[in-house]
Amino acid sequence: MTAIPPTLRTERVDARDKVTGAVRYGTDRVPPGLLHAALAVATIAKGRVTSTDTAAAEAVPGVRLVLTRAGEGELASAGFLLGGGYGFQSLQPLMDDRIAYRGQPIAIVVADTPVAATEAAALVTATYETEQVSLDLDAEGVEVVEQAATLPPMFADLVAGDAEGTLADCDVRVEGTYDLPVQHQNPMELIGCVAEWEGDDLVVHEGSQNSGAIRHGLAAQLGIDAERIQVISPYVGGGFGQKNSLQPGTALAAIAARRTGRPVKLVSTRMQVFHNASFRPASRHRVVIGADRDGTMRAAVHEVDQQTSRHDLYPGSYTEITARLYGIPNFRGHQRLVRTDVQTPGYMRAPYEHPAAFAFESTVDDLAHQLGLDPVAMRLANDSTADPITGQPFSSRHVTECLRRGAERFGWERRTHEPGSMRAADGTRIGWGVALGAYKGAAVPAVARITASSDGGLRVEVGGHEMGQGIRTAVARTVALDLGVPAADISVVVGDTRSVPQHLTAGSWGTAGALPAVGAALGELRKALGLAADGPADVAAAVAATGQANVEVEATYTAPGQPPEIVLDRLRRGLPAAGGPVYPGFTAFSFVAHFVEVRIEPVIGRIRVPRVVSVADCGRVASPVTAASQLRGGVVWGIGAALREASEVDPRYGGFLNADLAEYTIPVNADIGDIDVDFIDVPDPLLNDIGVKGLGEVSMVGVAGAIGNAIFHATGKRFRHLPIRLDDLLG
Amino acid sequence: MRAFTYTEPGTVTEAVAALAAAGPGARFLAGGTTLYDLMKLGVEAPAAVVDVHRIAGLATIDTSGPAELVFGGGARMADVAEDPVLLRDYPALAESLAKAASQQLRTMATVGGNLLQRTRCAYFRGGRPFACNKREPGSGCAAREGLDRGHAVLGISDACIATYPGDWAIALIAFDAVVDVLGPAGERTVPLAQLHVEPGEHPEREHTLAPGELILRIRVPTTGTGRGSTYHKIRDRESYAFALTSAAAAVALDADGTVTDARLALGGVATVPWRAAEAERSLVGQPLSPDASRRAGEIVFADAVVGTSNGYKIELGIRTVVDALRIAGERATQ
Ligand SMILES: Cc1cc2nc3c(=O)[nH]c(=O)nc-3n(C[C@H](O)[C@H](O)[C@H](O)COP(=O)(O)OP(=O)(O)OC[C@H]3O[C@@H](n4cnc5c(N)ncnc54)[C@H](O)[C@@H]3O)c2cc1C
Ligand code: SF4
Repeated sequence: MTAIPPTLRTERVDARDKVTGAVRYGTDRVPPGLLHAALAVATIAKGRVTSTDTAAAEAVPGVRLVLTRAGEGELASAGFLLGGGYGFQSLQPLMDDRIAYRGQPIAIVVADTPVAATEAAALVTATYETEQVSLDLDAEGVEVVEQAATLPPMFADLVAGDAEGTLADCDVRVEGTYDLPVQHQNPMELIGCVAEWEGDDLVVHEGSQNSGAIRHGLAAQLGIDAERIQVISPYVGGGFGQKNSLQPGTALAAIAARRTGRPVKLVSTRMQVFHNASFRPASRHRVVIGADRDGTMRAAVHEVDQQTSRHDLYPGSYTEITARLYGIPNFRGHQRLVRTDVQTPGYMRAPYEHPAAFAFESTVDDLAHQLGLDPVAMRLANDSTADPITGQPFSSRHVTECLRRGAERFGWERRTHEPGSMRAADGTRIGWGVALGAYKGAAVPAVARITASSDGGLRVEVGGHEMGQGIRTAVARTVALDLGVPAADISVVVGDTRSVPQHLTAGSWGTAGALPAVGAALGELRKALGLAADGPADVAAAVAATGQANVEVEATYTAPGQPPEIVLDRLRRGLPAAGGPVYPGFTAFSFVAHFVEVRIEPVIGRIRVPRVVSVADCGRVASPVTAASQLRGGVVWGIGAALREASEVDPRYGGFLNADLAEYTIPVNADIGDIDVDFIDVPDPLLNDIGVKGLGEVSMVGVAGAIGNAIFHATGKRFRHLPIRLDDLLG
Repeated sequence: MRAFTYTEPGTVTEAVAALAAAGPGARFLAGGTTLYDLMKLGVEAPAAVVDVHRIAGLATIDTSGPAELVFGGGARMADVAEDPVLLRDYPALAESLAKAASQQLRTMATVGGNLLQRTRCAYFRGGRPFACNKREPGSGCAAREGLDRGHAVLGISDACIATYPGDWAIALIAFDAVVDVLGPAGERTVPLAQLHVEPGEHPEREHTLAPGELILRIRVPTTGTGRGSTYHKIRDRESYAFALTSAAAAVALDADGTVTDARLALGGVATVPWRAAEAERSLVGQPLSPDASRRAGEIVFADAVVGTSNGYKIELGIRTVVDALRIAGERATQ
């Protein structure tokens, strides 16, 4: 990594506030007169509410309002985020009598205390007409939709050359079918909001990755002008995709606040977050790879069936990375969506890429094994410089360097090829596995505003949300390095619609959008203050010299090839506006190589992951401290996804059974060993001026594949499902 | 959660009187980590709660005596887990607590309340619409045709296959612990082996305490066999998870390695803490070998009945016994 002068080294700018508890999250807000809301939810999986009984709930002391159905014209659907709308799903509860999934809200209860609201919500009862449900990919009654035939061209199947024709005359073919489970993001911070009316103006505090969508979605739902709504998402206590859109409870809280004339706080329970927010859908992957005897991969097929809801088509983009992991000239991707009776699934960290890489990299490992080739050497031999789908060059691609450096750090040359050939003295089976990951280099339009004061203070407002990834730190560090000022003099405002337009911060494009905008604003500031084009500057003196207390500048950034007016307009209307990975003249991806050691103890067979080495190519490293933390965090997620996490579905009942943090087993500290991370840290020359590509998502991609490959190396057993648990290893 | 009355008596006698006075459905409250949890889920709805967690004297720990170890019913799991005598002479007892729940929970929870914790069966905890004979007698058992990966294979009935979830009772039963209780009718002693009952036709009845009986203390007879012991807990993650299978194992060996005393109890696999007396007998008088240990494990599961997806518990349980006896044997010879 580039050496950072000690004076400019930036720890997380908000680390102290976080550790001391000074940070205020959305629902930490307690305005005077606050009332508390709770949701009552459906106990059937599908059907109609025929009647509700709210008498017992209304009789609970302190209850102010029990609402089972919004009034005429009071509430509209916000639409589905990926269908031109703003919501995690198009279905808005409390608008009619339809029940589409178990746990769907049937009433909102508002009371003086959270205890009264919770008690009263539990007392709301309903009678139902039930219907047959279909909950998994194989269930009777599901509806299978050809994605390419149904959705806009950006969701078309990716095809290059002639995969099937080439497969037929390859020396070897390997094939596997992989099943990946439903998972839930489980951020620590529950989904919740505080809604307050000031006259006809609405203010919402909510931990969200998309305050812009909340603003504009609420405007559509409540039938008021977006200018009258402000959304403040100061910190997100983890989002991981689940907080990327408007939640159905927010409008209900706003209506409750309007009806009661008091501010209303609604915090979902953990159980409700499992049922009334997005999740990673189940998916099934069939992968076929054909190669020459020397390991040259010549053709691949990747077919995916992915769960969606009855009411929305959540599209899949699984083959976007598998088409680009290697230089495979003949590729055919195919994606189908399977409608089941659930809430609409959505993005969970590396939403497509993690399952896709597990399936594809497991198959690649099978190929290397079958050909007797070293899995690293075979991957190196199949690296590519051009995008096999478009034929254009990659903006930057350092896969070979990731593999080489990772192999060296890991000590890969000491690996013996045969499965089961590495054992510790006590009989512990040792397996070493490798896998690649990739994630699109996305770019999002962003607006940045810098206000420089004569007292030396710098206020930077920019589009983006702080979800723990460290966007404040990356922005502060960029400004500090550019102007040669201490990070302490810089205050960064993100996630606040009262400042500049706020984009959906996800897909690892948050920093990649914010930093170029900030970079452009810095240029404007230098111009406005008559400073040199670069180098340290005495900003305070320059502001003072203008005779004003403050100097304010603004700049925008749009991705290469994006029509600025169109995407900036989408940004201002709270709609997704990200571009990539294919830009005019180049294709952009981040890459990573993971090396994993598993140890499988004798007798019982518990699988442990004592060490991981991960080397990422994410362009320039914008903030070393938070980047390393991102990469380690992604590896932890990968370990959880490979060995622990699955949301359990009982097909008779619907919903999710293990809907709490005790039973949904994310990894604990004791599950995590040494994670050694490194970065190529070569700026991307094309994607933006700052040279960054995304990191948050790619970090997780391939970890599960590397773990599965390591388990294969330790045992000779190939598992084609996740999670791989100790009951799988018995026998 | 329903409204309830709350009292905090100063002595155990007052506590027993307060609970009796509160009428049916009243509950003692210790750390609250089971009771409050189930109240929030709506599975328990006591009209009255009598808090015993600050009663002086209920939290005493005395491991210094020659004849027995004494743990007050209100002693905190974390404190007992760190007791130096246990750590040295009865590692199985200390480990059964240290490997339970999380440090935060262990700091709140008591060793008395721990014995009466209730099953983690998701259909029991989930409330309606799930059929559950334990929660609503006669409503059926959703687990039998449902997701039963965590459920029991020993001691089950047609009515209920829920696993007894605790760890501490498994280690205690292996060491012949007894429980002293105080009720409206006075004090009595219940062997731990008689505290919990298999579900039979009445899964709603989980233990033999009369309404209003307070656990004063748990007593464990001292034994040299404790040194060669372990609590081996196998779970879906390395910490903060209930046992899929567990074994409390203890052995004493003579100079040439023959087993002179064996204790074996299993958790995670049965509806109650499961003492494996026949398996213990099979070990005594034999050298402690992997084969003998495996046979002992097989004896434990001879009558196991599996459901849809808990069949792995037999092989995993046997291996847990084998590994636990290995660790116990190593400690016995140290
Ligand atoms: C997330 C989570 C994970 C857990 N993991 C584990 C685990 O891995 N292993 C494990 O063993 N346990 C585990 N537990 C359970 C935990 O150990 C028990 O909840 C705890 O020991 C109960 O003690 P308490 O003092 O909090 O009891 P309380 O919740 O106060 O009471 C529990 C029950 O016992 C009764 N009671 C309490 N004290 C007395 C007394 N002195 N006399 C008579 N009746 C009494 C109460 O009326 C109530 O019915 C876990 C719990 C949670 C919430
Ligand atoms: S196993 Fe027991 S606790 Fe679980 S649903 Fe059946 S009856 Fe209820």
